[in-house]
Amino acid sequence: MTRARSDWRGYLFIAPATIYLLVFSFVPMVIAAYLSLHRWHLLKEDHPFVGAGNYVELFRNPFFRNAVWNTAVFAALSVPLGMVFALAVAVLVNQKLRGVAVFRTLYYIPAVSSGVALSMVWIWILLPQDGLINYVLRCFGYPGDYDFLNVPAPGHFLPAPAMLCLVAMSAWIGLGPRMVIFLAGLQGIPDSLYESAEIDGCNGWQRFRYITLPLLMPTTFFVLITSTIAAFQLFTQVYVMTRGGPQRATDVVVYHIYREAWHRLQIGMASAQSYVLFGIILLIAIVQFALMRRRVEDAGEW
Amino acid sequence: MRKPAIYVALAVGIAATNLCGRCDDDRPDRRTVLRVANWGGPSVDASFMKTEREIWDEFERRHPKVRLQIENIPGFGQYVPKLLMTFVSGNPPDVLSLDGSAAAVFIDNNLLADLTPLIRDDATFHLDDYFSNVLEIARRGERLYAIPLDFTPMVMMYNKRIFDEAGVPYPRDGWTWSEFLQTAEKLTVVDPKTATPTRFGFNFQKEMPLWFPWIWSNGGDVLSPDGRHAVGYLDGPATVETITFLADLVRKYRVAPSLSQSAAAGVDLFRAGRAAMNMTGHWSLIEYRVDRMDIGVTTIPTQIGRPVTVLYATGLAISRASRHRDLAWEYVKFLTSEAVQKKRVAGGLAISGNRKAAESFAGTPVEDAFLSEVKYARPPWGSRVEGYELVEDLGREMIEDILNGGVPVRQAASRTARLVEMELNRP
Repeated sequence: MTRARSDWRGYLFIAPATIYLLVFSFVPMVIAAYLSLHRWHLLKEDHPFVGAGNYVELFRNPFFRNAVWNTAVFAALSVPLGMVFALAVAVLVNQKLRGVAVFRTLYYIPAVSSGVALSMVWIWILLPQDGLINYVLRCFGYPGDYDFLNVPAPGHFLPAPAMLCLVAMSAWIGLGPRMVIFLAGLQGIPDSLYESAEIDGCNGWQRFRYITLPLLMPTTFFVLITSTIAAFQLFTQVYVMTRGGPQRATDVVVYHIYREAWHRLQIGMASAQSYVLFGIILLIAIVQFALMRRRVEDAGEW
Repeated sequence: MRKPAIYVALAVGIAATNLCGRCDDDRPDRRTVLRVANWGGPSVDASFMKTEREIWDEFERRHPKVRLQIENIPGFGQYVPKLLMTFVSGNPPDVLSLDGSAAAVFIDNNLLADLTPLIRDDATFHLDDYFSNVLEIARRGERLYAIPLDFTPMVMMYNKRIFDEAGVPYPRDGWTWSEFLQTAEKLTVVDPKTATPTRFGFNFQKEMPLWFPWIWSNGGDVLSPDGRHAVGYLDGPATVETITFLADLVRKYRVAPSLSQSAAAGVDLFRAGRAAMNMTGHWSLIEYRVDRMDIGVTTIPTQIGRPVTVLYATGLAISRASRHRDLAWEYVKFLTSEAVQKKRVAGGLAISGNRKAAESFAGTPVEDAFLSEVKYARPPWGSRVEGYELVEDLGREMIEDILNGGVPVRQAASRTARLVEMELNRP
């Protein structure tokens, strides 16, 4: 009896989150699925059913393919860079030093700042004449008039400088949350393991390679999944800094969806694009799970 | 311990928000609210904002039972999408400023009220008072969806001081491409030491609204007359010839800056005195006047025997859903009236759509030249074709492909035409 009653109360506790998920995630997903099967212009009276028509159209659309490619390039560059960077910083701020908490706080600041504000700061850093980077370049005798965000890509299948700027910026913005998660993982590794390794004569690199990395695997996996998902959802920086330019070199899928929905008002097509993005992220997550499961489970059994 | 303090703070906060909410709701007057959507915001010229505010105050003085609610939508490129959202959400303003270059999406989706019945029933309003080809922008057959507020034709501006220094005669209206090229060559100055130009004959800019009238001036066009096809037009022989000519100004004759030279300058090269000619509209005069530049105005060089140009215009329209149509009409009439227009365009932003108001500024060479160009001007494609914004994006990218990417003109034009064709005919 008592047990049943406590179960019932448990549902009360999760009700707010469940209702939130249902109303703001699940219901919109169902509506979007419905919209994606129709030719649905927000201002037109008729919304004919087109079945998979939008999806077929999508794969023929060179602009959408371009957006998917750009997003993949961004993810492929920013996820590894961001993770290595965050792990390195996490290892540094994991040292038992005075004032290390100050650094942890400082590195976390971008994560609690508005994406638009961060983008504005980076626009200033990257300005062609008066920007910080060009100023530094001039100090070293370079012309210092490099227009990072507008120079076209050097060739086909090569990322534009603007894309590299977005990658660098995302490593910096994502640093805080990733670092904190890595830090939690690092602090979960018992000191006794390091001590015995030291007694066995392991040097610093060996301890990192054979103790830290394997035992950190569940954490790394979590950061990998969340970073990949975040990379595929890149929007704010593109919207504020590049507007998809130069020459669509930074036109990523979410920005493309935004334009499709709110500039072209094709909400049906935009919904189809959202579902394609959802499918891509889901697929990547499944693959990552499949590849990583073994290692993660091994790490759990030390 | 510390909790009570938090509760007190919360209570004060809640009380404060409620109080403010009350202040807002508590309208002392029972005036009708007329909502007017405008583009702009703090970035707009301060003296112009002041003039506008005086005009609104005057309207409220004349209509004591009306309160104007001006809804400024700031942000370049944001006006149209944000305004469309007010229609989608069923909460549009009563009156809106309609950008001629984006009029199609509003008119052809039946968002605006047809003004012809209002005009017919109003003996105090005369359509002849307005420039007829500016009216064309918002006309569909017999129906009319906006009254012109102000406009500008695209013209060729030149810096008289540079012409005088170089001893080059001023251009005359109706000049040809080859006359233009010769003039530009004479005005270009190259530093012999560095072999880089210190002054360009012409300030070419990649944005399509700023260069596409050249296509018309060669007898070509961007789209087919019905606005549904680009293949055979945007990649037609006349267009390819035009784009080749423009690209050659940069890369062959070197009388115009490359895109990287423009970007590196980071300023309007014409305004900086580093380019002798500029294709632009009336709005530029505000800045040029501040700099005390001596500006001449002439037609865009033409190959078809007569000048041709495009009209960029703003009109006032009334939402079809407005519940205060008569009042909205009063506002439209007031703002486009001769007296108000004289005051409104005095700052030089544009030419008044009201002919008498516009002609009251005649008498200076620049203003006369502008007025004489009106008869050559045609409505922009965006007033006819929904989503033309994308064509303009692709047009700019085509120029980038050619000038930065080295793509041959014919290939770039045909690729762009196919992309536009696909977009126009997307289901």
